Amino acid sequence: MDSQPAGSGHIEVDRVTKTYASDAGDIQALDAIDLDIAPRELVTIVGPSGCGKSTLLRCIGGLIPPSEGRVLIDGEVVTEPDPRIGYVFQRAVLLPWRTVEKNVLLPFEIGGRPTSKDRKSVHEALEMVELSEYAKLRPAELSGGMQQRVAVARALVTEPSILLMDEPFGALDAQTRDSMNVELLRIWQEAKPTIVFVTHDIGEALFLSDRVVVMTARPGRVHEVVEVDIPRPRTFELVEGDKRFWALRHRIRAAL
Amino acid sequence: MTEQPTTEQKPRLLRRLRNEKPLGRILVVVSAALLLVVWEAWARTNSPLILPTPIAVFDRLVSYVSAGRAWPHITITVQEIVAGFALGSFMGIGLGTLAAEFNIARRVIMPYVIITQALPKFALAPILVIWFGFGTTPKIIIAALIAFFPLLENTYLGLTTTPALDLELFRALRAPRRVTLLKLRVPHAVPAVFSGLRVALLLSLVGAVVAEYVGANKGLGALIIVSQGMLDTELMFVAFVLLTLLGLTLDKLHGLSYRLVLRRLYGKTASSAGRAASRVSV
Repeated sequence: MDSQPAGSGHIEVDRVTKTYASDAGDIQALDAIDLDIAPRELVTIVGPSGCGKSTLLRCIGGLIPPSEGRVLIDGEVVTEPDPRIGYVFQRAVLLPWRTVEKNVLLPFEIGGRPTSKDRKSVHEALEMVELSEYAKLRPAELSGGMQQRVAVARALVTEPSILLMDEPFGALDAQTRDSMNVELLRIWQEAKPTIVFVTHDIGEALFLSDRVVVMTARPGRVHEVVEVDIPRPRTFELVEGDKRFWALRHRIRAAL
Repeated sequence: MTEQPTTEQKPRLLRRLRNEKPLGRILVVVSAALLLVVWEAWARTNSPLILPTPIAVFDRLVSYVSAGRAWPHITITVQEIVAGFALGSFMGIGLGTLAAEFNIARRVIMPYVIITQALPKFALAPILVIWFGFGTTPKIIIAALIAFFPLLENTYLGLTTTPALDLELFRALRAPRRVTLLKLRVPHAVPAVFSGLRVALLLSLVGAVVAEYVGANKGLGALIIVSQGMLDTELMFVAFVLLTLLGLTLDKLHGLSYRLVLRRLYGKTASSAGRAASRVSV
């Protein structure tokens, strides 16, 4: 993972609107979202449930097309899932019949026959999430936090320039979630992908990000974008001891 | 990391049954012995033409089998079951996969399936005898027709219930349709297909035996009809016992092969995977 990702990972969200048809008429999930996320930035998106956070992430990832507007990655319009993007979902989504390392190898297998270089990348990715010794186990033998780390390794193994994370630690207990967040920052420092991280936890958002995008619901709009000027490297002690943390937390909570 | 690896949550009823295993076994043995005693006592007050005693059935079974007279019947019936089951499974899994993979295939296949299911397959036995004679062919066809449906349904179910997030992952990884089928949907469908295979196996036994009633000179079903004609109730019970043993053996073979496949797929976690799979409806 020492080589830098190929692209630079610049994301532009240009007046993205998403409307779903439903029995009760059209539902507007996103309303003219504008965002510009710099390469290697760590941006979190917070908002009440149903505000379209996940929808926005899926539009950025090319999993669903926006109804209006467009998403550009490094200046190119996204029309379909993109190899420059790695995904981490709410659940680990590991294949239970595959070992940990085979799960991490999956992105290469889908692209064709994995090479020895690919296997080396799997090794390094597992090392990065500190799961090397669990490579031969199956997901059912791991805890929820470990499973989610395998999912992170799988997302990073192809060295994407962008990592999209959809409430990845939401299902974990508070302690595990904290340690996952510390690890995520370490991984981000090492691999330096652009990260867009969806969460409903304000503390988590402030701890992780350079900027917090605060969304409001129905239709999903960007309420404000909050700069988090807390210095790095961050620890929970440092962040929670920082006056700015509490001020920002208060401001975001009031906005939601 | 100090997190504890998860232990698969066991269904409470299952755990209780496991703990009570010794008691359960004792109860089964005791109740079976009681049943046999009641049967013996009841049969003694009756004509052996109506109900032979279990001891008489057992003696007859031993002499019949040791004289080598059971084997020709058993082998014929087993051949019919195996051939019918293989044919029905092949068709069921094949058409189930087509229906799951292509909407147009589903729309064409389903009406036919529903119509053939509405028609009782055994009703076809006489015409099949007219067409194919008294050999094994009509029995194989009946067994195949009856084995076909559970496999079609379970294959379709197994292939179309892949969790949405898993499919999204494969989409995000830009997996071609064929790869998604082979690497995700097929392994996901394994438990459902195996529970379909189990039903199909036992149904093809029923199919073969009942088809033999209509016209056959060999096979355990034919043996039942012959013993009825000769008013040899004892022999009929011998056939019942042999059929039961055959059914149990087939079910054991299914269970064994399923466990082997689970072990191959899931390694050490096979037992928890099997428990999860047993919740898949038939």
